[in-house]
Amino acid sequence: MGYFDVPDISYTRYTNRQLAAVPLAVLAVALLILSGSFLVTGTPVPLGMDFAGGAELTVQTTSSQAEIEEAFSVEPDSVQGIQAPGVENQYTVQFAGIEDQDAIQELSSQAETELTQDGDNEIVQQESTASPSFAAQTQQTALLGLGVAFAGMSVLAFLLFRTFVPSIAIVASAFSDLMIPLAFMSIADIPLSLGTVAALLMLIGYSVDSDILLNTHILRRGGDFYESTHRATRTGVTMTVTSMAAMLVMGIAASLFGVELLASIGIILFVGLAADLMNTYLLNLSLLRWYKFHGVRS
Amino acid sequence: MSASPVGFVKEYWRILLLVSFIAFALVALFIPGGIMADDSLAGDLEEDEENQTVDEGMSNIEYGIGLDGGTRVSAPPTGMMIDTIDLEPEQHSELESSLYTELDLETADATVRYHESDDRYTAEVFTDDVNAADFAAVVAEYDSEVSEGDVENGVTQETRDQMMRTIELRVNEAGLSGGQVYQEATVEGSYYIVTEVPGMSPEELRELLADRGDVQVVAYYPDEDGNQTNQTVLHGEDDFSRIGVASYNDEHGYNYVPVNVDNTEDADGNSAATEYQAAMNEYGFTSEGVQQCGIQDLVAGEFNFDHDQPQWCLLTVVDGEVVDAHSMGDNLGNSMASGEWANDPTFDMITPTQQDAHQLAVNLESGALTAPLDFDRQQTFSVEPALADQFKIYSLLIGILSVLTVSGMVFLRYRNPRVAAPMVLTAMSEVLILLGFAALIRMPLDLSHVAGFIAVVGTGVDDLVIIADEVMDDGEVSSQRVFESRFRKAFWVIGAAAATTIIAMSPLAVMSLGDLRGFAIITILGVLIGVLVTRPAYGNILQRLLTDK
Repeated sequence: MGYFDVPDISYTRYTNRQLAAVPLAVLAVALLILSGSFLVTGTPVPLGMDFAGGAELTVQTTSSQAEIEEAFSVEPDSVQGIQAPGVENQYTVQFAGIEDQDAIQELSSQAETELTQDGDNEIVQQESTASPSFAAQTQQTALLGLGVAFAGMSVLAFLLFRTFVPSIAIVASAFSDLMIPLAFMSIADIPLSLGTVAALLMLIGYSVDSDILLNTHILRRGGDFYESTHRATRTGVTMTVTSMAAMLVMGIAASLFGVELLASIGIILFVGLAADLMNTYLLNLSLLRWYKFHGVRS
Repeated sequence: MSASPVGFVKEYWRILLLVSFIAFALVALFIPGGIMADDSLAGDLEEDEENQTVDEGMSNIEYGIGLDGGTRVSAPPTGMMIDTIDLEPEQHSELESSLYTELDLETADATVRYHESDDRYTAEVFTDDVNAADFAAVVAEYDSEVSEGDVENGVTQETRDQMMRTIELRVNEAGLSGGQVYQEATVEGSYYIVTEVPGMSPEELRELLADRGDVQVVAYYPDEDGNQTNQTVLHGEDDFSRIGVASYNDEHGYNYVPVNVDNTEDADGNSAATEYQAAMNEYGFTSEGVQQCGIQDLVAGEFNFDHDQPQWCLLTVVDGEVVDAHSMGDNLGNSMASGEWANDPTFDMITPTQQDAHQLAVNLESGALTAPLDFDRQQTFSVEPALADQFKIYSLLIGILSVLTVSGMVFLRYRNPRVAAPMVLTAMSEVLILLGFAALIRMPLDLSHVAGFIAVVGTGVDDLVIIADEVMDDGEVSSQRVFESRFRKAFWVIGAAAATTIIAMSPLAVMSLGDLRGFAIITILGVLIGVLVTRPAYGNILQRLLTDK
């Protein structure tokens, strides 16, 4: 019928260890990828111009993509055509990790001299540059921001539930929700930008929603464990899948239009929410089941 | 169910609250001038400029440079400082001149300030050419407790305030409205000065900011031994009381800026004007030096300081560079010699080109930047108006697509338009209320805010799903009491979720991470409005629709 129904998982068939094994294995792989990338390149995820210094230009020109790649004294990391309705000859050109401030400044004038003008339109339509030291500052601020947000979330989780296992379940699954999209970025070579940091922070907020829902249903309501779980899952999966759909559409549309900020937020949130589905209903659930049946008495 | 008005209000106060918020938002968005027609809320936002942009669109929404075109440049001030120096009041200017002589500084590159509020002195040096140890050594001559470790990177708040005022004046002088200058703190405690100007290219803005703009008039004349000497006779900011507009003299064919030299007398009866007049008479400018300056080659735009004849020139020097050299005119010389000039102390500062005249007027009017900006540590963001217009359309398109997706999913899940339709409408009313709020406080919207709106729709629908599932749990909502009890359960979850979102976003709202502040602020506001107003109202709507079959 094409209707969207939440599947009923028969949790009784699996032991807690079996349930937790999958998300823990995925988390282990993610951490392996991040540390591997750290050993090889020096950073767990590729850094975009916001964090490594460099430039991002949006140019409008009749020159070909190959000509654009040749036009600059520094080879661009990527040249991407913008596919939006009614727009032609627009490209986003990205340079990350340029150490020399003067070289960054010159990129836009090189574009103006080397590329062919498209009618009366200005060649450089958008210019965003960050010097390496400014970028280093941004990097520090972003790390601190992520750290504070995560710590704040953890404290709040403990305040809300006041018991160790359910709270640590929330924190653990939020941690995994952050690591999996980061590993995805590392594999898919999506550079870390301000937009992706925003998405990661948003993910902390989003991922906790379904965890809180599950914990509340299981711990604060009477009734059978599996019945509560079923209800929480029905609501929680609806929420997460709806958000995932919206983020996927936003991510695809925005990357076609060349709106980098919205594109990275959409894609990272999509991946993160998918990870959250797994973490909430396998990892968090197995921890809660163990707590409910064994942990409470001890 | 009660039919009395009181009963109605009691039962549906959540919906009534939502309706009044929506009405408020619509007024703020679409009635010209908005709710705050007297600008009282926007008082500190440079009222004049802001007013001009209000009438442009069909709504009261204002756009930031990302959606309207323009340039933003962030750069820190150059310099270092020593805080809390123990100094006797009479040593104030002594220390300042020691800094200049011992560190071999150019004019305006050092300052010593007294901070009255907490009775302390600070010393600042505005150049990268001095090392911290030498700086500390000079200050240590006056306060032996100062060591190299006391030297901090950066400048005082007073210096930054002066810089921001100067930049603001320059942007206004350039004839562009809607410019903004503010400072942003970094994690380390240093500061960036951020300048945003709509309708300016990055090159233009950087040029405006790169000039220190320190204007001096230097007398170039032969001293008693016949050697040519330089002596600063007028120094911008302090010595001029009025700056005219850049003009062109048709009769003699030159560009100039008319200026008034300050003739407010101090306690000793001296003023900048009388001192200037006295200097001119003493150095011979008003006697043998009249019309005796031939060092400027107007065609080549060069100056020749290697000459045989003695020269009496008044040099206009900007940031240490000679812009113009002129002799004393007959009339001016006579009125100075007689001492009458100081009563009406005006003269024309001549410049080679019209552009120079304009630049000079801007520099004199705005004063010098107290400290230069460090462009090695800058960040620039610039969007052409044409592309910004595209972004507006894209944002709208992406927003509509996201809302459609969410609506589609919700309809597929509930299969009941009575549940799903109000859900979509409620989520959209949140965006409407937020837009109204943004228009009310004149928050300029950028792409990051658009991302925030979409995030709000996302969290909004999440919460509405929780409310719907909870309220419809176990069949019909038979009474007000049952509804209230189920609603309270749902509210605990969405309240807890909202609290985590707000906590996760608050670092971004206060930290200076460029674009992301707008995103965080909109998300936090949206979550607050959602949890307090719109989402509870949805519960009420649902109750009404489900019981009223």
